[in-house]
Formats: sequence, C-alpha cells, structure tokens
Amino acid sequence: MLMQQLVNGIVVGSVYGLFALGFTLLFGINHIMNMAHGSVFMWGAFAGLYAVIALDAPIYVALLAGMLAGGLISVVLDIVAFRPLRRRNAPEFSAIVSSIGADLVLLAIAQKVSNTAILRFPFDAFPVVVFTVLGLRIQLLQLVIIGLVVVMVFALVWYLYRTGFGQRIRAVAYSEQTSRLLGINPGPVNTQVFFISGALAGMAGVLIGLVFNSVHFTMGEPLLLRAFVIIILGGLGSIPGALMAGMLIGIVQTLSVAYIGAGVAEAIVFVSLFLVIVLRPTGLFGKSTAAMRVQRA
Amino acid sequence: MNFLATYQSLFDHMLVNMLLAMSQYIVLRAGVFSLGTAGFTALGAYGSAILITKAGWPPAFAIVFGVALGTLASALLALPLARLRGVFQAVATLAFVQIVLSGTQNWQSLTNGALGISGIPHSVGTGTLVLIVALVVGLMVSLGRYSFGRALDVIREDETVAVSLGISVPWHQRRAFIISGVLAGLAGGLHASSSYSIMPTDYGFALMVATLAMVVLGGRTTVWGAIVGAIVLTALPELFRVFAQYRNVVQGLLLMLVIVYLPRGVADTLIAMARDRRLRGALNPSQ
Repeated sequence: MLMQQLVNGIVVGSVYGLFALGFTLLFGINHIMNMAHGSVFMWGAFAGLYAVIALDAPIYVALLAGMLAGGLISVVLDIVAFRPLRRRNAPEFSAIVSSIGADLVLLAIAQKVSNTAILRFPFDAFPVVVFTVLGLRIQLLQLVIIGLVVVMVFALVWYLYRTGFGQRIRAVAYSEQTSRLLGINPGPVNTQVFFISGALAGMAGVLIGLVFNSVHFTMGEPLLLRAFVIIILGGLGSIPGALMAGMLIGIVQTLSVAYIGAGVAEAIVFVSLFLVIVLRPTGLFGKSTAAMRVQRA
Repeated sequence: MNFLATYQSLFDHMLVNMLLAMSQYIVLRAGVFSLGTAGFTALGAYGSAILITKAGWPPAFAIVFGVALGTLASALLALPLARLRGVFQAVATLAFVQIVLSGTQNWQSLTNGALGISGIPHSVGTGTLVLIVALVVGLMVSLGRYSFGRALDVIREDETVAVSLGISVPWHQRRAFIISGVLAGLAGGLHASSSYSIMPTDYGFALMVATLAMVVLGGRTTVWGAIVGAIVLTALPELFRVFAQYRNVVQGLLLMLVIVYLPRGVADTLIAMARDRRLRGALNPSQ
C-alpha cells in the first residue's frame, strides 16, 4: 500500500516538476513571477480536452495541442503584460500585478467557455492498461508520463546547455544589458523562453487532466500555489531543484492525503514553505545569490 | 432615504474595503511587498466572530480582540520578514495566508470548516463604520505627512539612500507591517460584525487580489490612492451589473492597463500633477 502510494506520488510529482520547471525558468531568466502560469496550465488542459472531444484527435495530438496552446498563450502574455513593463524597467511588483490581471482575464474566459462545468476526457482517450510488478499496480499512463517528463527534461537541458539558442538564453539570463552589447537581441530570446515555459505548463495540464480525469477552470490555482512551494524549496531558477522538489511535494501530498487527510496535508506543505523561506531562502538545493537576502550592516 | 437603504450594504462593504486598502497601502509605501492583509483579516474576522457567537462577548470587545490578533500575528511575522525582500516577502506572506486559510477550513470544532460562521449579530452600523474609517484616515494622513511617512518614501525609493540618511530600514518596515496587521484585523472584525456570516473563501486568493487591485488602481504612495481604489473597485461591479459576468475581465484588464500606463495609480498621478503645477507656479509667478 505504501509502495503503491509512493508510485502514485512520484507520477504526480513529476508532472508538478514539469509545471514548476517552466515557472522557475521564467524566474531564472526574466526574473518574473508569472502569476498567470496556473491559467496557462489550465488552458493547456482545455486545449487538449477540446482536441479530443471536438476533433476526435488521438491523445498524442491532444498533448501537442495542449503544448502549443500553452506556449502561444504564454507568448501573448509576454507581449501584453510583461514586455511594456520590461521596456520601462519597472520593479518586479508591477510584473506580478499585471500577471494577476492577465490571470483574471484568462480565468474568466475559461469559465465562460466551459460553463463552470467539470469536463472529463472520454473513457477510451487513453488505453487503460495495467501492469502488475511485484504486487504494484502500474498503469501504462503512469509509465508514459514518467517517460515524457524524462524526455522533456533532457530536451530542455540539451537545448539550454548544448545549442546556440540556449547559449543566448543563458547570456540574457546573466545580464540583459551585457548580452545586448554582445549583439544578442533579447526580444526573440524572451519569446522563446515564454513559449518553452508555456508549452511545459500546457503539457502538464493535459497530463494532470488525464491522471485525475477532470478539467475545470479553477484547476490552475492550487497548482500555482504548489509551484510556489516547489520553486522555493528547490531554489529559484534551479532546474534540478524544481524537479526534485516537485517529486518531493508530489510524494508528500499523496502520502498525507492517504494517511492524514487532505486539509492537514495542505497546512503541512505551506508551513514547510514558510519555514524554508524564512530559514533558508535559497531553497534546499540552491546556491545563495545577492537577490535573496538584504545585506544590512 | 430609499437610496440609502438600497445601497447600505454596498456602502458598508466599501468602508471595510477602505480599511483593507489602507492596510495594503502602508506596507507597499514602505517598500515591503506583503500579501499578508488577507491573512490578518481572516484572523480578525474569525477571532471576533468566534468570541461573539460562542463565548457571548459584546461585539466591541470581540472586535478589539480581533485587532489584537491581527497585531500579534503581524508583529511576529515582521521579525522573519525583515530578512527577506521583494518576491520572497510576497511568497512568505502568501504562505502565511494559505496557512491561516487552511486553519479556518480544517479546524472544524472552532471555525465550523468550509461552512463558515453564520448568525453573527449585525452590531456595527454604517455610522460607526464611517466614524472608524474617518478616524483611521485622519491618523494615516498625519502619520504619512511627518517623519514616519517621509522615511517610508525614502526606503521605498532607495534603501541605500535611506541607510545613509540614518533611517533604520528594518525598524520602519516592521512598524509599517504591524500597522498593516492592525488595520486588517480591524477590517476583519468589522466585516464579521456587519455582514451576518463569514466563510473561509471570503479571505482567500480573491480578497488578496482585490486588495492589491484597489491599491494599484488608486495609488500606493498616498492614503487617498487607497481610498479612491477601494471606492471605485467596490462600486464598479454594482454600477455595471449588466456586465456582472465580465466583472473579472474588467478587473483584470483594469489592473494590466493601470500598471502599464499609470504605474503610480490614478489618484497618486493626479496628486503629483497638482503638486507639480503648484511648485511651478511658485517658482515662476509671472506665468
């Protein structure tokens, strides 16, 4: 029973990690807390679901549709909500406020489109195949999710650290001004980062929609709150940190829901977030940087 | 008279929102990015509501207790918060709001869980609310006009300059944060005893966004900004009942437009313009 819950926790946690990856990427590169990231995730799930229901598309097309929708919405967010602020060199407060505004708009549209209903994938959207290994019941869906997350993470790391595009992204992350002097146009770089981050969120949306077989316009908010916990635990801007913390939160959540109760689980997660941010703001896996602590004599 | 009766609850709501907006304004003016107002409000509201309904306390004492609860929470929270900045302060206070929220949702025996507390006697009338809000506005204006407000402005604009002027950043930010807790606790207590029932969802993410929206819309460097924001954002959904469905769209678009095009907020921009004109007039009397 414990092992079974552990497996479920790892699956859910890896999807959380995928979502938090895009969130932490935006912070690491653009220094933006994108409060609308949860809505991007939700719209990814919607796009995947409507692809299956309305177009009768196979599930891998739904996954691609979710990623594409998430990526495009995220790019639009950049253009509408963040780029004007970046141009003015506005404080980080402004970006948070304008992304909250964008979040409200995206939520309201989704509520209108879905009529506030909980939508479900058709029963045969993903073939139900269950393997039994050492007494553990493992679904094909769970294996596919783990596989997808591993592939996405390796692809992202490869893109960031082994290609010219990635080199430019890292240069902009280090200093937008310096990279401009070196002839890198930060505009397209930011567009790429927003697309990648949105696509990751969209994919996570379709996967979470499949795992719990429920798609609702409020599904983004709890995930966004969890993503806060994950990226703080893992250290802001850290890719391995986001993944590890995502797994950790997934496992803690599944185990505590199974053994203590959902309400207490929530409280435990946020108390631990509070303790971490106060005692060790760099996260469990992060290195300290100047941005995190106030230096005062 | 009819008009007053129809809009009385809206007016009460507006007055409570003014207190909330001022609670958010004072921390932002000090350069502390706190989202804790919603949490302190929940503490104030639940603290006083429980004392009134379960312990039979007179409302006035219960509200004072709610204020004390908000004050205590903010005073304790201010200590670790002084070590953080920017986004980290926002996330830490967000975590605090979530902790309070899950407390109100899950401590069944005390808070009645998701159902909330109902049957709270309506003991605070519009007159009392007006009196309290007027008193608080007066206090906040005078507090902001003299050395405390000036110090907060310097800290917000540039911490290094503030330190070089001998202004203690942690001391001022901690005071601002505690004032925020006092006002939010007061708003919570008044809300509980002027609206019959309270629920955990009254004090969640939505309240946080709404308070932030008021201050962003009005302006976060003067008390008047907070007041204007509270009035506009409380009245707007009522004025445009037709658009009730699109209320969130309007609020969201408003937030984005204001932060992009009027980053100081509507009221603060107007106040700054008036001041510029006055100063220019004083410098060149011939024009």
